[in-house]
Amino acid sequence: MHILLSWLEDFVEIKESPNELADALTMAGMAVDAVERDLGETIFEFDITSNRPDALNHLGMAREVAAIYRRSLRLPAADLHEQAIPASSRASVAIEDPHACARYVGRVFEDVRVEPSPDRIRRRLELCGVRSINNLADLTNYVLLEIGQPTHAFDLDKLAGQRIIVRRARSGETLRTLDGIPRELSPAHLAICDAERPVALAGVMGGAETEITDTTRNVLLEAAWFSPSVIRKASRHFKLHTEASHRFERGADWQAAPQAADRIGAMLHQSGRGSLLAGRIDCYPRRQPLDTVQLLREQVRQHLGIALEDSEIESILTALGFAPTPTSVGWQVPCLSSRLDVTRGIDLVEEVARIHGFSRIPSTLPAVGAAPAATANEREEERMRAGVRALGYDETIGFSFISSEDARRFGGAGAVELRNPLSRLWDVMRNSAVPTMLQSLQWNLRRNRAELRLAEFGRIYRRSAETYREPRILALGASGSARPATWSDRAPRFSFHDLKADVTALLSPYSCGPLRFDASGIPDYYDLGQSASVRGGERTLARFGRISRTIAGERKLRQPVWIAEIWLDEVYACGLAEPAHRPLPRVPAVSRDFSLLVPESVQYQRITEAAGTIQDVERTEAVEIYRGKNVPRGRYSLLFRVWWQRLDESLTDESVNSHAEKLLSRLASRLGIKLRA
Amino acid sequence: MSIEDKTRLPILGLMADGNTPEGLYESLREAFESEVGAASAAGLESLRNRWLGRRSGLLAAANENWLKAAPRELKPVVGRLQNALRRHSDAALKAAVKAAAAPARRTSEVDPTLPGPARPFGAVHPVRRALEDVLRIFRPLGYNVVEGPEIETFFYNFEALNFPPDHPAVDEMDTLFLKDGMLLRTHTSPCQVRVMESSQPPLRCVVHGKVYRNDTPDATHSPMFHQLEMFAVDETITFADLKGTLEHFVRNFFGPGTRARFRPSYFPFTEPSAEVDITCPFCSGSGCRICKHTGFIEVLGCGMIDPEVLRHSGLDPERYRGFAAGFGLDRFAMLKYGIDDILLMYQGDTRFLAQFR
Repeated sequence: MHILLSWLEDFVEIKESPNELADALTMAGMAVDAVERDLGETIFEFDITSNRPDALNHLGMAREVAAIYRRSLRLPAADLHEQAIPASSRASVAIEDPHACARYVGRVFEDVRVEPSPDRIRRRLELCGVRSINNLADLTNYVLLEIGQPTHAFDLDKLAGQRIIVRRARSGETLRTLDGIPRELSPAHLAICDAERPVALAGVMGGAETEITDTTRNVLLEAAWFSPSVIRKASRHFKLHTEASHRFERGADWQAAPQAADRIGAMLHQSGRGSLLAGRIDCYPRRQPLDTVQLLREQVRQHLGIALEDSEIESILTALGFAPTPTSVGWQVPCLSSRLDVTRGIDLVEEVARIHGFSRIPSTLPAVGAAPAATANEREEERMRAGVRALGYDETIGFSFISSEDARRFGGAGAVELRNPLSRLWDVMRNSAVPTMLQSLQWNLRRNRAELRLAEFGRIYRRSAETYREPRILALGASGSARPATWSDRAPRFSFHDLKADVTALLSPYSCGPLRFDASGIPDYYDLGQSASVRGGERTLARFGRISRTIAGERKLRQPVWIAEIWLDEVYACGLAEPAHRPLPRVPAVSRDFSLLVPESVQYQRITEAAGTIQDVERTEAVEIYRGKNVPRGRYSLLFRVWWQRLDESLTDESVNSHAEKLLSRLASRLGIKLRA
Repeated sequence: MSIEDKTRLPILGLMADGNTPEGLYESLREAFESEVGAASAAGLESLRNRWLGRRSGLLAAANENWLKAAPRELKPVVGRLQNALRRHSDAALKAAVKAAAAPARRTSEVDPTLPGPARPFGAVHPVRRALEDVLRIFRPLGYNVVEGPEIETFFYNFEALNFPPDHPAVDEMDTLFLKDGMLLRTHTSPCQVRVMESSQPPLRCVVHGKVYRNDTPDATHSPMFHQLEMFAVDETITFADLKGTLEHFVRNFFGPGTRARFRPSYFPFTEPSAEVDITCPFCSGSGCRICKHTGFIEVLGCGMIDPEVLRHSGLDPERYRGFAAGFGLDRFAMLKYGIDDILLMYQGDTRFLAQFR
């Protein structure tokens, strides 16, 4: 909003430079965005918060200046020279909906001469960004900018029955507004009507049929108070944001309506371009009571942390237009119709604080409160993040929105739909982190970044029965080689087992029990031959694998990509394993290698499980796997190493031999494994 | 005067020129050290003659002209200095001869300038980095860290926070709604109410997480971003505490020279409300493109928790007061690391992420 320095000076003395004034107002809560000069005038551009409609005019801003510098405020004059004929003999006003229109003040002007406004008025309007139209329309705008009350001038002779009825519009009624656009009205809208039809959209814009023209002789001036929510609805419905609606929807001052009507009457008389009939038509069916607020001295101190002198508090409140009455504990302060934002003691504390100056309030640190509680899963999360970072995965954050198509494909049923999505591709909340991760992988591959390790800690969103759940998830994305090529080594391709190693490492700090990997329950966006789910006890902790060729093809991924989904809530619920020290053995372990022929149907884990049943086995290793020449069809060759260990004595050859025999016989009888000749 | 000339002069004359015995021997020692340091293996033998030669060596000359010529009362001092220097130069020469005789060091078999196989740490996302920096400042002040649901009710997101029923932020243009009237939280403040409902003061809390607005993405807007909010509720919390806490915070986050400026503003859930500007971290307040030549950058909103919000949360506003402050972590990260496009945060581009390893 534009405020002119010279216009402010009509109401308050200003000794400061424009920049000093701008700073002082900004620091009092009237944010000045810019100070400009144009046509020899200084213009302040303000950004006024929505709770302060009273400051959206020059008088209101002058009151702020007067309060900051404690100077006196000169109110605009309204010297009325009324004719003997009463206005009420020429026009009448009725309000059918007092909730939507609490007050309607009318004044009647006769024998007006419609012509361009004098230069002074035109110039001020134009500097404030308002187009000059004619002397009558300009007067209404001038007074709007001056004291903040929107008004409207009707051509009285075009009002059927010379009547104003403020009522809800009827279905089917239309109104061509001043911008020439026909509007279809409904009972949701408040209309200003004459005896026959709507003539204005209340509080938003007047109608074209009754506007002031060069031939207008008699005028009905409207100054009214409309309910903010009614005006907001109409303004939004018609996408019509006007100076008037802007003020009404923030809350106008019902006591300003007669002042504005009088001021316009006085200015019109002074210009000699019309005469003012006697009296206001003041239709005021709903008086809104104003409370008196108690401001406690103690309250100021308790909120601000500083004790202010009584005289300072009183002087600030008085300068802002309040009339505080001292009591033994503070003040009784009647509320003002111009300051609807002030209804409680705390609101007055704010007024005192901002005019006194936030910068004059000291800075202290509060005492530490209670000992802070540990954040849920904080340690578990820290550990996981450290692991992800150490494994070289770059942390990404993806948008929470995906398309409903991706939601069906990657997350199944139960996606959370948006009523007003940003776009069709973002119409649901993601129920899987895979599409977002695929997008990031794709983004990089398209930019020839082929060595990728990405990780996202995030949430997915699900609707179940009547509640929403937002489980935490860690998604890993990998592509390229397992290790980068160097000048001495070629780079091996990233494989299933590379990802398995990463997932295993990340899960290892938690007490999830032994991890079991199998291919059950894998959704088909994975390549079913190269993926697995991970369980620990009863919990499903993760699944991972290569993204299916179908998906990769559709997304034009030019190299294999791998994804892991780790259900963090499940993992964290296992808790971090507390280390427990075991004594170190005094003697070294001994190992034996077995060259085995294993049926293809036997998975490695069954071999290790069988080995685990043998006494003194410390650990096992798969040293080499071979298929091909000299290995019978339907079998693979496994070089299997077993380490035996006792805590405090060496194992004799005999006991190792006997252990080994037992192992081989178990492998043979349970799993059909033969020793390779 | 050369060192040779010096050793030829009697000590009393030198002392009359302002030298002390200690100074004379020190200059001798320095000259010796620098010659030993510069000598090649072959040069060491002639160096020995020049310095330690029995008749014509420099130390012999010093012995003659300084020690022997010294008056009796000076003799003990000069004698000690002469002996010390002789012992030192003997040992140093021996060591130098030994070092010269040692075989040459093996030259490197590897090229240490070739890279090893790269094993970079993963990047910590700039938003996460900023978060961790913030938490490191607030944890020692006794703040708990809380997250909260991103899918919220209208009540927690607006009503409980004292939004008037017709506040523009409630309009659909700003809020993303679900089909059943639930919504995506537009700020982290609902969590304030949730915490106050479930726990009793004193409270010191940091809430952080994703928030959503129905904004078309561009360099400064993203429909999803991260907010962080801190609040304290107690019987004695004041606006002065709010100022002190935030000043401490911005100094620690943006650098010790950072000043904060509190401007009155309006938020439905705080009263009084303020916006905080900090001295521009790019130009230290002297004015630049980023702060639009004002020297200040607006970084956060704050205020005393409105009594209505305390009441909605089941706390007695006559007894308790609180302050709250909130800001965008993305914006903080952008200011701290000089990122000029918020959308970089959400693309997963490794050229961007790798800068934060």
